Amino acid sequence: MAVASGSEVPAQSPPEGPASTGRALGGGALKLIRSFLTLREGSIIVVAIVTTAYFSTNATNFATLSNFKTLLPYFAPLAILGAGEVFVMINGEIDLSIGAVYLLSPFVFYKLNQAGIPLVPAVILSLIVSSLVGVINGFFVAVIGISSFVTTLGMLFTLDGLTLIISHTAPVATPGTSALHVNSFAQVFGGGTYSELIWALVIVVGLQLVLTATRWGVYTVAVGGNRLGSAEAGIRVRLVLIRNFVLCATCAGLVGILEAVRAVTATPDPSGSNDILFQGIASAVIGGTLLRGGSGTVVGALIGALFLGVLHDGLIIKGVSANYLDLYLGLAILIAMSVNVYVQRVRTGSGLG
Amino acid sequence: MAESGEKIVPPTSAPDDVLRVEHITKSFGPTTALRDVNLHLRKGEVLGLLGDNGSGKSTLMKIICGFQKQDSGQMFLHGEPFEPKSVDDARAQGIDTVYQDLALVDELSVYHNMFLRRERVRVPIPLLNNALMRRETRKALDDIGINIPRLDVPVARLSGGQRQAIAVARTVSGEANILLLDEPLAAMGAKEGGMILELIQRLKEKGEVSVMMILHNYAHVFATCDRVNLLQDGVIALDKPTSETSVEELNEIVVEEYRRARQAAIAEDAAARAAASSSSQ
Repeated sequence: MAVASGSEVPAQSPPEGPASTGRALGGGALKLIRSFLTLREGSIIVVAIVTTAYFSTNATNFATLSNFKTLLPYFAPLAILGAGEVFVMINGEIDLSIGAVYLLSPFVFYKLNQAGIPLVPAVILSLIVSSLVGVINGFFVAVIGISSFVTTLGMLFTLDGLTLIISHTAPVATPGTSALHVNSFAQVFGGGTYSELIWALVIVVGLQLVLTATRWGVYTVAVGGNRLGSAEAGIRVRLVLIRNFVLCATCAGLVGILEAVRAVTATPDPSGSNDILFQGIASAVIGGTLLRGGSGTVVGALIGALFLGVLHDGLIIKGVSANYLDLYLGLAILIAMSVNVYVQRVRTGSGLG
Repeated sequence: MAESGEKIVPPTSAPDDVLRVEHITKSFGPTTALRDVNLHLRKGEVLGLLGDNGSGKSTLMKIICGFQKQDSGQMFLHGEPFEPKSVDDARAQGIDTVYQDLALVDELSVYHNMFLRRERVRVPIPLLNNALMRRETRKALDDIGINIPRLDVPVARLSGGQRQAIAVARTVSGEANILLLDEPLAAMGAKEGGMILELIQRLKEKGEVSVMMILHNYAHVFATCDRVNLLQDGVIALDKPTSETSVEELNEIVVEEYRRARQAAIAEDAAARAAASSSSQ
């Protein structure tokens, strides 16, 4: 690597004369492609574009606005769930309780509203309840020292059970919503056509900023990459872990409320929430976040969620039998992950070419 | 153990001590790492801490830098009682450390590692000031004379010597006036190692920074240290200015220790065998 010691950023060498312009352009384009492919999100972006292009040309009515609207509820909630999960996964942990928090939070919202608390404060309080779940998860993992897989698995069953008990296994009408018209509260909290999309974009952009441009993000990567070293450097490892479990659970609680408002009812169905859980984790993993910690991207989780949404929606439009959906989804995850691992190896290895 | 107990160096001090450690003990379960450690560090001095593997050198450093807590004993910083509550706390009081394992995060860039836990942020929104950190990192590395071409690559891609240089530069370039270096030259080639020794020499000439350094290479000890302390069996067994001791003396003590340990092991073995044969009859 013949780089002068002064220049830490690889400067794009400007073309020196008309003769070298062509070659420099070619080199620049190649460099661009190379740096794109070695982006953490690079491979999944390619896979998502290819998938979208395939369905756009092979399925009628896929590339339409109305279908985009149909697509939104498939991926916006997953993007938010995945965004929170990314922080826990970069820590080298996993949160399996996000589905259960997602299931519980609309019922907490319902109960609080029934108790006479106005809509917005009730939403905020149920988000606080969700964040408390994160505190408990983080406490068991960081202070007691139980593995996060076991801790959050226990939390998953606990909260599923709790939801069944407080709901008496009966669906309820989500407070503040009506099947007839969408009021301003519902407009904001998931009922509006683009409401969930806007929430997802704001949260993803915000959290990506936190991850790459703040101390919180640096410590998250540090704790996931070298826990002992982080502690030796003076980072409060337990605080970092707990904070990320809280973030993850709060995201899950918010998605639960958004989805309940969108659907107008909240249904105590643990199998549905387990499905959401695994798709949320799949979004993060497909997006390029490593399960072993130390590396990950929030934007990747959004694109991973988009990929899952496109695949799901596209297969339905193509008229693929519902029986085949999960099979294709599973195979697609395996293929996308294989590509990811390959690109990862190239990136951390000698570099492309 | 009785005869080695007699070798304990009692608490000593000098008027210009920046750090004093008195009667420090530390056990990990049944294993006693530090039995009764007394040492002092004078202003502007470079103290070499020697000892066999597992003699407790790293444990002692981790207690001084606030990473672990002693079971008993006291420490004094500039004459005042010193009880660091955390690594941050010790650092705020001017003590910083290069750990044996370097405490680098492979996934983070060179400059994020350089400023780990000391990140420079903007105001009023506390976003990382990467440009400033990159610049200061370049300057700190240039000061030592270590050339790392790109500062935005993850440190996983660097050589062992470069990684160690970053860990040393990180500690030295901070505001600390007491530096604890745990084998700062272990992974370095001759050239990089020479640069670090030169850096320590320069710090010594300035006279404001005191250094306590764990070393294995006696040549390095005699090249850099003003004084040596030998940690053996959980106590400081020797405390001498470098000029009054020699490689031979240090070797003799260590070899003597081996001989004693081996004889003890043989005796123990014989006793165990005798016990076994008597019980079988």
